[in-house]
Amino acid sequence: MDYFLQTIVYGLATGAVISVAAVGLTLSFGVTGFINFSYGEILTVAAYTTYALTQAGMALPLAALIAIFMGGVVTFLVARGFFEPLRDRGPLALLITGVGVAFVIQSLVQMAFGGSPKPFPLPLMTPWQIGEVYIPKLQVIILVLAIVCMIAVHALLRYTLMGRTMRAAASNDALAKLSGLNTRRIIGGTWLVSGLIAGLGGVLLASSQGNMSPTLGFNFLLVVFAAAMLGGIGQPYGAMLGALVIGLGIEFGAAYVSADYSQALAFGVLIVVLLVRPSGFLGKPSLATAGGAS
Amino acid sequence: MTGWLLFGAFVLTNALIYGILALGLNTQYGLAGQANFGFVALFAAGAFATTLAVLPPPDSPEYVGTYEIGFGLPWGAALLVAAATAGGVALLMGLVCLRLGGHYLAMVTFAMAQVFASFLANEEWITKGQFGISPVPQPLRDQVDEASTYIYLYLGLAAVVTLVAYILAERAGRSPFGRVLRGIREDEVAARTLGKAAGAFKLKAFVLGGVLAGLAGAVWVGSIGAVHVGQFIPVVTFNVWLAVLLGGVGNNRGVLLGALLLVLIRESTRFLEGVPFLADLAASNASFLPSLRYVIIGLALILVVRFAPQGVLPERLRKRVQPDLTADESAPVEPVQVKA
Repeated sequence: MDYFLQTIVYGLATGAVISVAAVGLTLSFGVTGFINFSYGEILTVAAYTTYALTQAGMALPLAALIAIFMGGVVTFLVARGFFEPLRDRGPLALLITGVGVAFVIQSLVQMAFGGSPKPFPLPLMTPWQIGEVYIPKLQVIILVLAIVCMIAVHALLRYTLMGRTMRAAASNDALAKLSGLNTRRIIGGTWLVSGLIAGLGGVLLASSQGNMSPTLGFNFLLVVFAAAMLGGIGQPYGAMLGALVIGLGIEFGAAYVSADYSQALAFGVLIVVLLVRPSGFLGKPSLATAGGAS
Repeated sequence: MTGWLLFGAFVLTNALIYGILALGLNTQYGLAGQANFGFVALFAAGAFATTLAVLPPPDSPEYVGTYEIGFGLPWGAALLVAAATAGGVALLMGLVCLRLGGHYLAMVTFAMAQVFASFLANEEWITKGQFGISPVPQPLRDQVDEASTYIYLYLGLAAVVTLVAYILAERAGRSPFGRVLRGIREDEVAARTLGKAAGAFKLKAFVLGGVLAGLAGAVWVGSIGAVHVGQFIPVVTFNVWLAVLLGGVGNNRGVLLGALLLVLIRESTRFLEGVPFLADLAASNASFLPSLRYVIIGLALILVVRFAPQGVLPERLRKRVQPDLTADESAPVEPVQVKA
């Protein structure tokens, strides 16, 4: 029983990390309509930025903030420079370009920092103990940060002008343009937000794993994508739900089935979802109606 | 001088292996329009099937005591086993994935290849996991004494298999079967309206692509006489994509040329060690030059898609109408001129 509860604790934390990353991915999909294959690399960039800044003597929270900001800026620049010129060229051109960008960023990180794993600069924290179940402080912090991030995304979509225009562009790009919205700016803003969330996801991922390598984000991309798909791609609240399921699935799979196949299990879920219910858990509401009708 | 010749033969053999892979992907994507991002799984299936087929069984005198499974088949049979196994994996992959389109097909095939890779890495009784299997008997190795002569002989063998693969791909493309596939690629609804079972056609093209990838796997194992799960990483898939895009989607000669260009680009990065400034950096970081190679591959993917989407040798269609394969599907198509 304690083992079961312990697995739930880890599953929730893993799910929290995935949910942050999945919301960023699904947000950019909702507005731009394509899957950014280089999304994982933004997580890597943020993790390594945090590492480099703390090595230079900066305090961890400040370094993490700058890293998150870096994630947003890099995503914005990549999208403006590489994705937007190909917007009307069909899915394959964008997918392949995304793969190319992923290779370039991942290899540049490896050239700068080397291929061997680097420790994520975390202070030592003793876990809380409730009965026989250990609740690590780190996992609680991750969970709290993830929830804060979710609330922020909700508020952005629901209450701000930018969020409303994003939802408008997601639901009907042409109509949004006709209504006088500057869709180029909206899309740019979406990339920025998606990148900021990816940055947070990268910091959380590296801290939950304790170390990082240049393939950190690339290896995580499919897990994130599985969560986004499971919830219904383009739908932020679905992504949160999907992430929770995938996170618990990975930890329970590792604990009770086979640790070797825990990732494969997540991809198996992805494949089954796509075949059985391609619209995911939440067929509606999409990004267009996220945050309630308004 | 002989050093350079040997290096040239080695590079050409690699180009031929990538050429067979590119023919396979070109059948799946160029002909049938199915973007497979998990192509490396089919290559791996062919490679491991070949290994199991040609390894001597434990009770034979040639057995060297490294591996428990081995059928001791001749290489000719091993090629068939590789083709059948990879074709079978492609059939499974296609049955599961082909009803999806665009992004989803790409992501799911990518995911399936990852599942297959973790299967290979974990099922050590088949693959010996991180240890790999070595040595694997090479074809006709006992016919020549010199290791260097064998490299030339092997280049010839690889060329023969490539020719067979080319004829297979070309015949499929030029037959009525190929014309239907192009029709489905351009407008699936129109093809269905004409009574063509689009799903079955796509699946057959997918399996044929798998068969070619299986042959490539066999040629790969024979060329180095060893196999290891680490050889079949996602990067391989995108190398093949680069070869197809560079050469010209839909053109079999083009993709062979693309494979040669790909291998030349990759090998030319070896000479970067000679650049003084880079040599200093490489000395301090062992992964510097291999990473630089991936940067170049990544940049090539970006640039080809952006500036030369038709590749070096674009697909030649018999009609005068040359549809822009890269264009948005919703864009209006020019009316076909019918000759009276």
